[in-house]
Amino acid sequence: MYGSTNLSEEEAKRMNTTVEDPEKLEAFESRIARGEKIEPQDWMPVEYSKQLIRMIEQHAHSEIVGALPEGTWITRAPNFRRKLALIAKVQDEIGHGQLLYSAAETLGKTREEMLNDLLSGKSKYSNVFNYPALTWADIAVIGFLVDGAAIVNQVINSKGSYGPYCRALERICYEESFHLKQGHDNVVYLATGTKHQRAILQDAINRWYRPLLHFFGPPDKQSAHSEKLMKWKVKLASNDDMRNQFLDQYVPKIWELDITFPDPNLKKNDDGIWEFSDPDWNEFKRVINGDGPCNAERIAVRKFAEEAGRWVRQALMNPSEKYVVPLA
Amino acid sequence: MNTLDPRIKRLSLDPSTEVEKTNSHLITYEVFHQEKRGKHVTHVGIVHASNPEMALVMAKEVFGRRGKTTNLWVVKTSDVYTFGSDDEDMFETTPEKTFRDPAYYKVRDRIEKFQNKQKFEHEQRT
Amino acid sequence: MSNALKDLLYKMADDALIIGHRNSEWTGIGPMLEEDLAFSSMAQDKIGHAQALYKILNEVLGEADADTLAFKREEKQFKCCHFVEQPIGEYDFSIVRQFLFDHAELIRYDILTQSSFQPLAQLAKKVKGEIKYHVMHADTFVKQLGNGTEESKARIQSSLNYAWHLALGIFEKSEFENDLIAENIFVGEDELKKRWLEKIIPVMESANLKVPATDEIKIVYGGRKGFHSEYLKPLLDEMCEVVRTDIDAEW
Ligand SMILES: [Fe+2]
Ligand SMILES: [Fe+2]
Repeated sequence: MYGSTNLSEEEAKRMNTTVEDPEKLEAFESRIARGEKIEPQDWMPVEYSKQLIRMIEQHAHSEIVGALPEGTWITRAPNFRRKLALIAKVQDEIGHGQLLYSAAETLGKTREEMLNDLLSGKSKYSNVFNYPALTWADIAVIGFLVDGAAIVNQVINSKGSYGPYCRALERICYEESFHLKQGHDNVVYLATGTKHQRAILQDAINRWYRPLLHFFGPPDKQSAHSEKLMKWKVKLASNDDMRNQFLDQYVPKIWELDITFPDPNLKKNDDGIWEFSDPDWNEFKRVINGDGPCNAERIAVRKFAEEAGRWVRQALMNPSEKYVVPLA
Repeated sequence: MNTLDPRIKRLSLDPSTEVEKTNSHLITYEVFHQEKRGKHVTHVGIVHASNPEMALVMAKEVFGRRGKTTNLWVVKTSDVYTFGSDDEDMFETTPEKTFRDPAYYKVRDRIEKFQNKQKFEHEQRT
Repeated sequence: MSNALKDLLYKMADDALIIGHRNSEWTGIGPMLEEDLAFSSMAQDKIGHAQALYKILNEVLGEADADTLAFKREEKQFKCCHFVEQPIGEYDFSIVRQFLFDHAELIRYDILTQSSFQPLAQLAKKVKGEIKYHVMHADTFVKQLGNGTEESKARIQSSLNYAWHLALGIFEKSEFENDLIAENIFVGEDELKKRWLEKIIPVMESANLKVPATDEIKIVYGGRKGFHSEYLKPLLDEMCEVVRTDIDAEW
């Protein structure tokens, strides 16, 4: 998931023990219950703002780190159409980062603080971007399926309660539909192409299958819940529900191309629930804790961007201008 | 660094570099977008920039790279004045002031009633 | 005449493709998010210009289609200047290159709006606005970095010094120069260079930059005749890597 809302036990406990002004809390909660949005200048519970910052920040990190695996093939895209689409797509992901950092900034954490936390490892990003893009077919699979998974997540989050985050997501979802279309187009060209093209596509699907199942986070029965985050519309759907929605939308679109997933147990049951083999949640944990194939590279590249760009940003800085929190 | 990205390979990065923490911030500009001539200019988001010229250069690609754009405006965030959210109550009764609404003025019923009456009187006379 | 036209279109298209390709290397790792987007858009614009120029070559002058021209030609068939082939370096070089290159582009396209060769005049009218933005972007950066910190001033000046004789290579004449002028297709590289200097010198001055001295012998020529720097061949190998894995496939 782009911004994880899974809580540690300690956090879950804190969520339930932080005392807030009951009157203000009541007004805040009934506003959300009425379906109204919260705006940056509003009173909000400390934990609401904290959890939102954490989630939006992780989402933003996922965008700018997510630009890296696809960036791998920017200089090698095989024709004008693909070259332009890929650059524009990776550019959009950076743009999504820009929009999301801005939304989180309205809650009082600066972009620079968020980037510091990304580089120090204090703040996480989506696990799926710790895997390499080995061949050109990975670009097709990422564009179609990773973005497809991201859209499921983002469309749901855009119904949340925090105004700036919802506005950013609306714009993002619009751009994501381009990502999805160009990804699908790329997948279809490979699937209907030469033997070589079909082979690299099948290979890429085989490698991305598990990371895609991991994308939505651990099964509901294994993850700590917070009723409060649901009530506050920070979290809007369970991991399992989102995963199921994803499988339902995308598996048939791969199968119709006579491409398979590397899981004999993958099937839809009569009750509409998809069944699949255990995707090895230990691997998920290992990768999240830093031991994935590309974790080190991703952070090293972001560190480079930060360091190499520092003199530019510093030269632009005007010490007589004071930073204030952006409005919306 | 062992990487599959030829661009990254050329940068010859060292993963062990210590990055300095950044503590200084560029200021932000609020960005307003006008889609077409004759349309309102609406707020779309912010950019980080050093001055208004730079903010415009940035706003063009952050908010104007798709669809139609006629113009963009940028305003330094600190130059924007707003109501406090506690002041929303000042606007609360406004929707009730129906005498300002066109929909409040409904005379059709009255006209019809009047016409029916006239018709009736006319028929009585003849 | 069509050979002269082809030569002009190839060099313009190849310049645009190669610099667009180079500048796209910054996408995702730029110095700040907003600039990452801006620089990427401009790289896309350049690649788009290349595609449009190859399209004229294909549709009007009977050359192969745009993808074939970009992805399936040999190094020696390219007519780009050495300046665009250089690696992206650090951001100061990339910005200085944009500044020097795009000022020349803007004037070139502006002049071409009057070209007797209609397809090119049409295209020039269409994309002139894009290049105008590229120049606005470059000027804004050069001025701010040139007036910024001690480090940024020194970086911009030294990149300018390094880039100067490479940039002058943009104006290398081909054997068809006189034909292009005589047929009112283009005013020629000497005139372009003259107008270019008139535009960039005031910007450099307002950025507190010293205009490097020109030494005719150091100007880097060769690209327009198919002789390239050591960087073009590897660039093309990389760009064509996927295509070459399955040369007849549709991608
Ligand atoms: Fe995205
Ligand atoms: Fe995307």
